[in-house]
Formats: sequence, structure tokens, C-alpha cells
Amino acid sequence: MIFYILRRILYAVPIALGVSVVCFSLVYIAPGDPLQTVMPPDATAETIEIVKHAYGFDKPIPVQYLIWLGRLATGDMGMSISTRRPVFLEVTDALANTSLLALFAVPIAFSLGYAIGVVAGCFPGRWIDRVVTGTAVIGVSLPNYWLGIVLVIVFAVEYMLLPATGMGPTGSTGFRILEWSSAKYLILPVITLAMIPIGILARTTRAAVAEVRNQDFVQTLRAKGLSEGAVIRHVLKNSLPQVMAVMGLQFGYLLGGSILVETVFTWPGSGFLLSKAIINRDVPVLQGTILTLSLVFVATNLVVDLLQSLVDPRIRRG
Amino acid sequence: MKHVLATAAALCAAACLTAGSALAAGTLTIGMTAGDLPQTTGNPDQGFEGYRFVGYNLYDSLVLWDLSQGDKAADIKPGLATEWHIDEGDNKRWIFTLRQGVKWHDGCPFTADDVVWNLGYSSNEKAPQFNPAQFAQARPYLGTYAGVEKVDDHTVAFITKVPDSLFPYEISYVLMISPCRAKEVNNNWTEYALHPSGTGPYKFDKTVAHQRLEMVPNADYWDKARVPKQDRLVLVPMPEASTRTAALLSGEVNWIEAPSPDAIDRLKSSGMQIVTKIYPHNWSYQLNFVKGPFTDKRVRQAANYALNRADMKDLLNGLMLEETSTVTPSAAYYGHPKIYDYDPAKAKALLKEANCLPCKVKFAISTSGSGQMQPLPMNELAKSQLDAAGFEVTLDTMDWNALLKLGREGAEEHPDTHAINISRAMQDPFNALIRHVWTGAWAPKGANWGHFSNPEIDKLVADILGEFDTAKRLALLTKLNEAMNEEAALIFVAHDLNPRAMSPKVKGFVQAQSWFQDLTPVSITP
Amino acid sequence: MTDIAAIDRPLDTFDEQAAPATRVRGYWRSVLYRLRHDPVTLFFAAIVLLVVLAAIFAPLIAPFDPYKESVVGRLKPLGWRGHLFGTDELGRDMLSRLIYGGRVSLLMGVVPVLIASIVGGLLGVVGGFAGGRINTAIMRTMDVFYAFPSVLLAVAVAGAMGGGITNGMLALTLVFIPPMCRVAETATTQIRMLDYIEAARATGAGTVTVIRYHVLGNVLGPVFVYASSLVSVSILLASGLSFLGLGVRPPTADWGLMLSTLRQSIYVVPIVCALPGAVIFVSSVSFNLVSDGLRAAMDVRL
Repeated sequence: MIFYILRRILYAVPIALGVSVVCFSLVYIAPGDPLQTVMPPDATAETIEIVKHAYGFDKPIPVQYLIWLGRLATGDMGMSISTRRPVFLEVTDALANTSLLALFAVPIAFSLGYAIGVVAGCFPGRWIDRVVTGTAVIGVSLPNYWLGIVLVIVFAVEYMLLPATGMGPTGSTGFRILEWSSAKYLILPVITLAMIPIGILARTTRAAVAEVRNQDFVQTLRAKGLSEGAVIRHVLKNSLPQVMAVMGLQFGYLLGGSILVETVFTWPGSGFLLSKAIINRDVPVLQGTILTLSLVFVATNLVVDLLQSLVDPRIRRG
Repeated sequence: MKHVLATAAALCAAACLTAGSALAAGTLTIGMTAGDLPQTTGNPDQGFEGYRFVGYNLYDSLVLWDLSQGDKAADIKPGLATEWHIDEGDNKRWIFTLRQGVKWHDGCPFTADDVVWNLGYSSNEKAPQFNPAQFAQARPYLGTYAGVEKVDDHTVAFITKVPDSLFPYEISYVLMISPCRAKEVNNNWTEYALHPSGTGPYKFDKTVAHQRLEMVPNADYWDKARVPKQDRLVLVPMPEASTRTAALLSGEVNWIEAPSPDAIDRLKSSGMQIVTKIYPHNWSYQLNFVKGPFTDKRVRQAANYALNRADMKDLLNGLMLEETSTVTPSAAYYGHPKIYDYDPAKAKALLKEANCLPCKVKFAISTSGSGQMQPLPMNELAKSQLDAAGFEVTLDTMDWNALLKLGREGAEEHPDTHAINISRAMQDPFNALIRHVWTGAWAPKGANWGHFSNPEIDKLVADILGEFDTAKRLALLTKLNEAMNEEAALIFVAHDLNPRAMSPKVKGFVQAQSWFQDLTPVSITP
Repeated sequence: MTDIAAIDRPLDTFDEQAAPATRVRGYWRSVLYRLRHDPVTLFFAAIVLLVVLAAIFAPLIAPFDPYKESVVGRLKPLGWRGHLFGTDELGRDMLSRLIYGGRVSLLMGVVPVLIASIVGGLLGVVGGFAGGRINTAIMRTMDVFYAFPSVLLAVAVAGAMGGGITNGMLALTLVFIPPMCRVAETATTQIRMLDYIEAARATGAGTVTVIRYHVLGNVLGPVFVYASSLVSVSILLASGLSFLGLGVRPPTADWGLMLSTLRQSIYVVPIVCALPGAVIFVSSVSFNLVSDGLRAAMDVRL
């Protein structure tokens, strides 16, 4: 097993390299100029050439890639073109803000999604199952940015109960989770963000629980005379690995930040940073953000793979 | 519901007290349209909005804009220079007398050396303080700049490549930063951005990257009449119009730029003040003079006759001025241009005469962008009006940066595109008129995208740039504007009215006819 | 459009209960039988059918020209002068635009999934059946794209290529290929290991025959069911791309784009502005539930 784990970790290295190539090349297909943000609309082509040279964007792309990779190895992701701040700082700041949302969205989504999934899975076909599955479908089918817009109109504009956007009067630096003046800025984005994972988890859990309940060993347990509560405990234990794998993925997604939800709420997280970087063609930020988020995701995938192989050793990959 | 509201309000009140002065008396919080906070290292990015809120607040230029009244188009006034004139013996040498007794925010005195240093900062690749980002920002305004020299401690001389009577306008966009502070941070501009020092009416206080920038009044500002009347100025970037509206209605900001026209009624019903004012902005189509139907003057005129600008105004809920000429009628050099009133029959007749019916044209437009107003519905309406008069318009929709790139490369590179829709600032005569039609401003060197060229107009431009007498120059500029209308050099559509919405507590704002605004007289009642 | 269910890695598709042999002929009959007795699925299938038919026959049923503008008639409420669903910010008939919008939205919902199923499915079957290095090569490459969260990849690709319908569909296809490939690969791998394949081989059946009769028969089911669940994801992702300005270009009628532009007018006619979102939601729910029904009826576990 340990050998397998090591092997999987080693396999992640070429993936990470592949990811870096994709990240790097993706942004160069972009129309528009990588130096767009520092250029006023009236800048002439001559001006752009001089500035391009100053920023090193006039070198051949493979050379730029190697330079970039070399710097990356030392933890230097370069400077944002538009803000001249280190990309590392930009990404970590944004990731911290997104994590704040995830910190609340994850437990809410996981506990709620799991709970209703279990309830539905224990009574497959009954009315409660129907209701729960229906609700879960709503969760995964709702355009969540649309939900966000509606929530803002209702709770921020019409009833003025909660703030509409941003992180409050001091921004992320003075954000105090424990104080209502800050915490209230979290409520609407967290609800919006949690919607989809709730739906996904409820569906997964329901399917997993229902499936395990159908397996032969459950009948055996019942035949042995175990109480229904004890049987359910066994069922849950057996369905948990599958649910956990999906949780892992959702965790990764939430950490990656939702571009749409963060855009709707002007939440300065990683998704927002990314969409801004795309609009501004801020190449170093774009590369740094995609790379970081993808590496987080590679790690999550790795863990999921290992979990899977624990459940069913036959599907070990590689 | 009421109970819930009361509880929530009480909770909030308690929390707000502990959280400190979120929106304490006298804090002006502005929701900007910019996608990000403007740079604080001198000439800001984010277009003229960056100049409006960061540039002219933290910094001054030698020449400033007089924004104190709203009755006529804003013009330039003395800034860090008290007076300027052309050298009598050399019409390529401008002499600027500097203001005495001005101090940077860091306490150092402002001198002639600082001016020379600043020009190196933004335009001399060899200077140790050269900053390419600043070069990119300042370059468009330094097209004729050749050099600067110190005459004495309080006088500098600028050398221009060609006689340039409009140089004082151009230097008004070049902001002066403190060499003292630059030295302290070893020319590290990332560091400088966090500790900027200028001579402006506001001092930098703090910033949270991408989220907010806070400034406080500079009590020692050299122009005592312009010491800010509020305690604090906070800038928040909010590129989405609906987000800005929601933020104003829910009380997170007390001033927003450019609310969506359709939100105006809702804002008014909540007691918000809506201010509008014409300003030197135009939303038009620059045409391709190299290839395609618009090389024919009759087709250009037909397009201008085909537009029903009153309908366009309805579309925008009244928030625009029908464009009759490149500049607004309030401009000093508007004159008596040929007016193209809505006349689809005449348009069709002209197209027939030009043998272009249906007249197939392709317009490059953007989905959004600074100054683009409501680009999609407006372009769609313009298309339907032009089509009704015999055109067959294809809209080539792209994102803002792609359109800017296309606009920069010029018509020669894009023979299939017949017009581009990039709204332009017409703040000064060069940017308002000359750059659209001067052969010297052909893209990619300048903003004459379509490569318009006409010897008479070029002669007129040369006369303008060589005319140092203000009144005589005005007459020449008027002639140029009239000539541009006769040529139908652009398809005129709209002038923006620059709507702003603010909370009823915001007092004392006078909206100037300018892209820039003076925030210093604004106060906020508790 | 974030982080949608079906994008999650499909988990161990088949366990020890994996179908031991090619589906027998009675299988499809029993699937149909189960579907016919599932009123929920039938109801939502009817909605899907309605949306599809409306899109196909849009020119015949749309009451107005979806591109005909009228400035005086802009942003009118439901039922104004024969405009059942009101008018949009340019005075265009909402109902007609929603009907026409279905064309683009469905196109972007179905085409990427279709292409991804073919490409991803084939890659998966080849990888799963060949095993060894070929499998490793294919699955490692997929892993590289798997390493990007789905939305991130769609936005990045669409953004990099400059948006538009074609680029949007291309981006979505790219997003769907890896999970599709994995579904097919997992199914194939598991079947390959089962005894009866060995038995079939032992009796002298050629590789092609084995793939055709034994593997495809067992892989098509999961691929089809998984693909059906991706349609709703694709619709949501596409509308999200349009919302961010990276998808469909105006003036083309498209639900996501309509949602985005009408957002500015929400204070004038809230109900009208909410319609595109509602339509996206209803179609997405319908596709999801039909997919669920299919999955249950075909007894496929994903």
C-alpha cells in the first residue's frame, strides 16, 4: 500500500508539469495584449513595443516558459501587470478570502447534504425520499449566480437586512468572523455557494446509502437479529468512503472559488481574481492563479484516488 | 417582519459601534465603475476614472483643470505651475513658472529638479527612476515632448519636437510624484504604491488590494479653497452596474458612478440624488477610409442621416445628449457645423447615389468597457436604424480589450471592418478633434484609426499647433470642427450625460463639464 | 454553473455486481417497462420534449420576430399588447426570444456532450481494454485536464479563445472529455477483468469481437446515462459563460445572455427579468430528472 501511495504521488509530478504547460500556454492564445491593463486605450503600437520589452514579453514563448518555471521553483510567480504586486501575494490573499467562504459553506453543505441524503437513502421510494431528491435536484439545477442576484435584491435592497457586496467597511484586512458587522457579509454568498454542494452531496449520499442497503450483507445482518439502528450504522459506515470522495472533490471546488458567485457578490476571492485577470489579460496573475488552484485540485484528486483504491483495490490507477 | 427588522437593526447598531466608524460622519464612499483600484504611482490606469478619483486627488500636474463650475466646458488653470508661455525666440520651447512654497506629502519642498526627475520617471528609458508602466500611461500625452530642462529653481522649459500650441493641455495629464519618497523606497514602485506621496488635496491613508483605497484630507494643501470638507474618501471598485446600484441602496456606499439608466427610477424612489451633466465624451463610430463603403462621403453622410438619435435617447431613459458634432455644443469651438437630422429618405437617396444599396458594412463593437455606456443595446438599435435606411450592418462583437487592440492597429490591418465603436474622451482640442483626422495621428502611431487624410485639414491642424494666440487658435479649431462635420468624419451618435447617484446625505457637489470632478467641497451630513 | 454534480468524478462505476454478460434482448424491454411506470420521469421527459420541439420549430411558433426592436415598447410587463411574457430592454418579445434562445442553449447543452461522449468514450474504451502503457498515457493526459476545476477550465479556455458560441462549445467539450473518458475506462477495465471475457477470449473470439459484443454492450449504458446527466450541466455552464460575457454574443437570443443583460433592468420589470433564469432552471431540472429516471430504469450506477 505504501508503495502504491508513493507511486501515485510520483505520478502527480508529471501531471503538475502538464498543468503548468497548459496554464502557461492557455493565456497566450488569448486575443488582446498581455500588457493591456497598463496601457491606456490610446497607447500606440510603438509605446506597446517599448513596454513589452521592458516587461520581457518580447522573448520567444518557450523561453518565457522556462524562465517562468525557473522562477516558480524558487516560489516566485512574478508580478501582476496591473497592480505590480507579487502574484504570490495576490493568489494567497484571494485564496484566504475564498477559504473564508469555504470555511462556512463546507460544513453547512456537507452536514446538510449528508443528513438529507441519509434520510432519503434510508427510505427509498417513500414520500420523504421524493421530497428530498426533489430538493437536491433543485440545488444542482439552479443557476447559482441567478440565485445570488435574487437574494441580493430581496435581502439587501428591498429589506436592507444584509449587505449586498464585498467584505465590509474595512475590506478583508479588518474582517472579524466573530463580529456581526463583518460576519453579515458572509451570509448571502455562503448560502448561494452552498446550494450546489448540498444538492450534489444529498444525491450522492442517497445513492450510496440505498446501494449499500441492497447488498447481501445487510440482509445477513438483519437475519442475525441486529436492531434497525445498528443495521443503519453498518450501512452508513459502508457508504461513507464513496461519500467522502465526493466531499473531497467538492472541497476542492469550493477552495477553487466560484467565479460566478464571487463576481455577483464582488467577493475578493480566487474566482474573482481569476475573472479579473482574464478580463485584464493579467498574464502572470492568470498563470499563478490557475496553477495554484489546479495544484490544490491535483492534491485533492490524489487523495480521492487513494481513497478509492482503499475501497476497491481493483481499480488502482497506473 | 417588522420585529425581525428591528432586531436586525439593533444588532447592527451594536455591532457598528464596536466595529468603529464604518460610515461615520464625513466619510465619502464611492462605488467606481473601474474593475480594479487605479495605480497610485503617478499617472493612474483605469482610464480617466483613475485620474478623476486617484490621480488628481493624490497628485497635481503643472496644469490643472478648473472644475469649480458646471455652466461651461471646463478648461485648464494653473496647477503646480503658476504661469506658462512660449519662448519668444523659439516656438518649440515652453517656459513654465513653478508655484513656490508647495510641499510634498512627505514634507520635502517641490522644486524644478522634481519636474525634471518626473519626466525621466515617465519617459526616459535610461533614467534610473524610469517606470515602464508610467511610460505607457504618460506616452499618449507626450507625443510632441522632446525634453525638459531646469532654468532656475522655480522655472523649467519644455522642448517640443514640433511647434505645439496645445502642449499645456497635454502636460495637464502628467502627474508629479515625490522624488523624495521614491528615494526612500529605492525606486521600488510596488513599495511606492503603498506609500505614495504627492502634492494633491488628499493624502494616501491605506488600501486593501482590489477592494478599497482610503484617502484623508491634506490640511496643508496649497490651494486653501480646495482643502477637502469630508473626513475621509474611500474608493471601491464595482464594475457591475447592478452591483453599484445594490450597494448604494443598501447603504454600503454613498456615491456611485454611472448607475444603469433603468435603475434611475428605483434610486429616485429611495430618495437618492441623481446628477447628470454633459461632458466632453462621445459615443460614435470611427470609419474606415482605406477600404469599403465609407470611403465615399455620401455613404458617411447617409449613415448620419439614418440615425434616429431621439429613439436612442429613449433607450437610455433620457441619459444622453444627441450628438450633432464630435464635440458638444457647449464646447468653445463647436461653431456652426452641418447638422445631420434624422432623415431616412435622404439617407436612402444618398446610398442610391453612391451605388451602395443595400450597403453592407461591418462594425466592430465591444460588450462593455470604460465610457462605452450600454454598448450592446445601443449598437443593436443603431444597427436596426441603419438597416431600415438601406444599410446592412453586421455587428462584430468582441471584448473590450480585443476592440482596443483592433482600434490601435488601424484600418489597414482590418480592411473588412468598416467602423469601430470606441467612445473617446474629448477633453482638450487635440483629443477632441485633431487625432481623428490628422495624417500625423494615423494608427498605429495615433488614434486616427481609419487613416483619414485630407491636405486641407492637415494644413489646418498645422496652423492650429503653430498658433500661440488663444483667440486666433479658437477660430481655427472652430473651422476644423465644422470641416469634420462637412466631411462626416464620424458617425455621430451620442454624448454621455455622466449620471451619478448619491445618497441624500451627500452635500456640496458641483458637477463640472469634464471627465474630472472636484470632490473637495463634498460633505456628508450624519 | 459552479461545481456541478455530474462533473464530479463518477465513482467506482461498477462493483462486483457488474453485469456478468452482454445485456440480453429483454433488457431494453424491461427498461422501457420501468420508464413507462415512472410518472415523474415521464412528466419531465414531456417538458424536455416540449423545450426541444419549441426550439426546433421556433420560427413556426414564436409569436413575434425575436430581433424586432421597439424603443417605445421596451421593458413592458407580462401580457402587454399581446406580449405574453412582456418585452426586453430593446422592446423585443420575451416569449419569442425565450423560444429562440432555447435553440442556442440546447445546442450548447447537447453538442459538447455528444462530442465529448464520442471522443472521451472511445479513448476510455481503448485505454481500458488495452491497459498497460496505453491506458497510462491516455489517463495521465486526462488527469492533466482533470486537474482543473471544471468551471475554471471552461472559463479559462473560453476566455482565452475569445468567447463566442463555437469557442464556448469547444471549451465545454474539453471539460467533459476527461470525466467521460474515465467513466468509459472504469467500466471497460472492470469488465475486462471479469472471467467471462477471459472465457470469450479462450473460445477464440477476436479482440474486435470481444470489444463489440462484450465491452461496448456494457460500456454504452453508463456512457449514455452519464452523458444524459451532463446535458443539464452543459446548459448551466454555457449560461454561466454567457453571463460572464464569454459565451454567446449578442444580439443572439440565449438564456444566459438574456439573464445577464436584463440584470440591469431588474428594478423596472422584475418578473420579466427573472424569466430567463427560471427557464434555465426548469430545463436543467427536467434534464436532470430525466437522466435520473434513465439511470434507474437502465439500472446503471455512476
